[in-house]
Amino acid sequence: MKNIFRKIGFGLGPDEKIPSDPLKWALGQLDEVPPFVWQGNIPTEKELRKLYGKFIYGDREKLRKKFKKDKEGYKREKDKLRHETGQRFWQNLEFSIRHKEAIASNVPVLTRLWYFWGNHFTISDKDFLKKYTTGAYHRETIRPNLNQTFEKMLYDATTSWAMILHLDNSDNTGPKSQSANEAWRRKKNKPATINENHARELLELHTVSPNAGYTQEDIIQLAYIMTGWRYKWNKTSLETGNVWFRPDRHQPGKKIVFNKEYKSGRKGLSLVIKDLANHPSCREFIATKLCRHFITDNPTKEMIKPIVTAWEKSDGFLPEVHKAAIKVVFEHQSKHNKFQLPENWFLQMAKMADMDWPASEEVMDTYILGTKPFDNHRRSEWTMEELGHSPYNSKQPNGWPDNQADWLSPELLIRRLILAKKSWFYLKKNKRNLETYEKIVSNNFDKPETILDLLSKKDQLQDKHTLLFNSPEMLKA
Amino acid sequence: MKISRRNFLKGSLTTLFVAGFNLPIYALNNIKKNLVVISLRGGMDGLCALPIKNDKNFEKLRPDLILDKNLEINSDFVLHPSLSTFHELWKEGKSSFVHATSIPYTGRSHFDGQDLMESGGKVPYQIKTGWLGRGMKIANLEGDGLALALPMPLLLRGVPKNDNYYPAKGKLPDKEILEILSQVYSNKSEAELKSLLDIVKSRPKVDTSYGQSSSRDSISLAKKAAKMMIKPNGPRVAVFEVHEFDTHSAQGGVNGTHSDCLSEIDDIVRTLKKYLAKDFDNTLIVTLTEFGRTIKQNSGLGTEHGYGGAILMAGGLLKKSQVYSDWPGLKKKELFEKRDLNSTIDARSIYASAMSTVFDLDFKRFKDEVFWGENLQNLSDKLFKNI
Repeated sequence: MKNIFRKIGFGLGPDEKIPSDPLKWALGQLDEVPPFVWQGNIPTEKELRKLYGKFIYGDREKLRKKFKKDKEGYKREKDKLRHETGQRFWQNLEFSIRHKEAIASNVPVLTRLWYFWGNHFTISDKDFLKKYTTGAYHRETIRPNLNQTFEKMLYDATTSWAMILHLDNSDNTGPKSQSANEAWRRKKNKPATINENHARELLELHTVSPNAGYTQEDIIQLAYIMTGWRYKWNKTSLETGNVWFRPDRHQPGKKIVFNKEYKSGRKGLSLVIKDLANHPSCREFIATKLCRHFITDNPTKEMIKPIVTAWEKSDGFLPEVHKAAIKVVFEHQSKHNKFQLPENWFLQMAKMADMDWPASEEVMDTYILGTKPFDNHRRSEWTMEELGHSPYNSKQPNGWPDNQADWLSPELLIRRLILAKKSWFYLKKNKRNLETYEKIVSNNFDKPETILDLLSKKDQLQDKHTLLFNSPEMLKA
Repeated sequence: MKISRRNFLKGSLTTLFVAGFNLPIYALNNIKKNLVVISLRGGMDGLCALPIKNDKNFEKLRPDLILDKNLEINSDFVLHPSLSTFHELWKEGKSSFVHATSIPYTGRSHFDGQDLMESGGKVPYQIKTGWLGRGMKIANLEGDGLALALPMPLLLRGVPKNDNYYPAKGKLPDKEILEILSQVYSNKSEAELKSLLDIVKSRPKVDTSYGQSSSRDSISLAKKAAKMMIKPNGPRVAVFEVHEFDTHSAQGGVNGTHSDCLSEIDDIVRTLKKYLAKDFDNTLIVTLTEFGRTIKQNSGLGTEHGYGGAILMAGGLLKKSQVYSDWPGLKKKELFEKRDLNSTIDARSIYASAMSTVFDLDFKRFKDEVFWGENLQNLSDKLFKNI
């Protein structure tokens, strides 16, 4: 039963009271999106995007030209520019904000769902996105939509600057658009063509999945609808300008997706998104994904159905979808144990042992733009990368997998062993005692005696710590 | 351009006839033969790696992506300049290519495609093991697989006790703790965790106390793989991963993203050759990707998801240097769905033949037991040599 606090959250801290009605406790977290627990500085996505722009402009337009023949000089000046724009810092600040929500907020279940949707609408590791803006996209585009409809979250994610850049939609131009006839295209030999990347992933990853049986022609037609949606480009901001719709790059004429007609123009996108969000395959795909994430690699029809029903009844209102999903997790909690994904495992450890994690507001706010961040600013970035599960760093737009087999390998086990051992050093001084470990065990596990028995096999507290966090009970939930 | 389907078919009929008398004699000596698979994620552009010469359709469709510094290999194809090691090996008869090939998947999705290139099946996410893992299983190669990656690729799953290498930073807990955990995993019937931990425990000490200096770039990983493979009881199968072939924009010329990815393949092969030394002659390296890319460039100077592509191969187990292809042509009516290079050879025929050659078992067993008896051709005699 106590497993549920890790299944849908991050476990309980040593001094935390066990909620008397766990289901009520969980469902009560899903209606509102409270402000962040983080009390330190939180820059806006726009500010961070501006720094991104400053970096690429300085590098491409200035340094590369100035230091064409001086490799050393180029490297030195580029490092300076990195620090001037905080390139090695922002990701760490984002991790601190993100992890503080897991460990110190009273909405850990909502936080797990925030992580889920951030991964569903993945911004993978491309260009400098993770270094500047992916965290802010998770904060500003994904999180405020946790108590909105799926359709709204989908529209916001699709038209966000991060997604447009990430999936190349700025290169998606109608071959019959006004812009197609512009003289510069002939001069530079750049004919107007569509770019299918974003349209394909909108269908495949974000909404209906290949189960819906769309054709290559559907993808092309959706790409036509999306033509003209791009970042505003100018000579200094380069590709970091706001997203807008350019009618002169839009493919004229009607388009047909899933046998339905869409008129030409800006509105086509919101109309097609509405239909995709309400497509039966979309509901089923996402309900299955939720079950796979929280319960088992092989969700059953019985698990998926209540979530689909809640979606239908509420028109995809996410708090209702989430509540249905959490109820399903409760129903199946004793039948399935799932190997925990590395970031979750690490945060569970941090919360259960009340570790000094993440780096605090005081530490992070000492950072001064223009300087090189200190090691204590950067420990979360290094830790997440070492775990192999850095949330802004997935290699492909399908995000991190939920299947257990994808996380089981000798090297991945080595990471858990090393990081459990190393995390001992993040333990607060007043928590380094046997009583704390007894409390951790009794708060989080149904059969504390078997785990205490395991811990008794070593005398040193640090060894007990390593054993506890690599026990089968801890690795799974 | 001289290559045509007719020429090809004539050539292969002769070979087939000869092959009928040339029954396979499997090696009875104790040479340890190695198979290396490099997974290319994102869709490797076969026509960028191995462009066709003097083809008007090709020149018309991607005028800005054809380089003028390509390396000469034969009358029909050239090699991308980043593949210089392959070019060197070509002269020694130790590199060859299969062109206009693909796994039998035409859906153009990366994720379905990558699942299928590894599982070898036809329905995405249905098969939970990889063709290589299943092939190793029937050849009794338990504990002989090595992935140079942090997760265990689907490709290798299906045979127990595979190892992987991707050096960590920091030190493992001491041996006693590992023993205690191993005991607990065993008591609680956590067979999978126990098996992983046993592999970790069995590693030499030098491997379990990683320093900050251990590097994870392709060259360092290839060096490590080679050093493990030259040991008599070392792994016989290695899997590498190269990412970022998905160049929808700025695919570019010599300095573009696709070039960087091809360089990475070349680095791996060059490093393996250097450190495998004489064992390179007992080794076969093949690439694997989910699909080729469109012939036509887009306005961002990239390419879209396509179908047919190429397999790059290197090593001493190749029969000779050749571009093996049943070339379908690039005229519009010859293209797949009027857009992509067609695939005329099921890539799985190459992989089944490669396993048959390296694992010394009859082709039919791989065809039947790994690929469910599907209609695959035995290309062992045409592409590989028995030693």
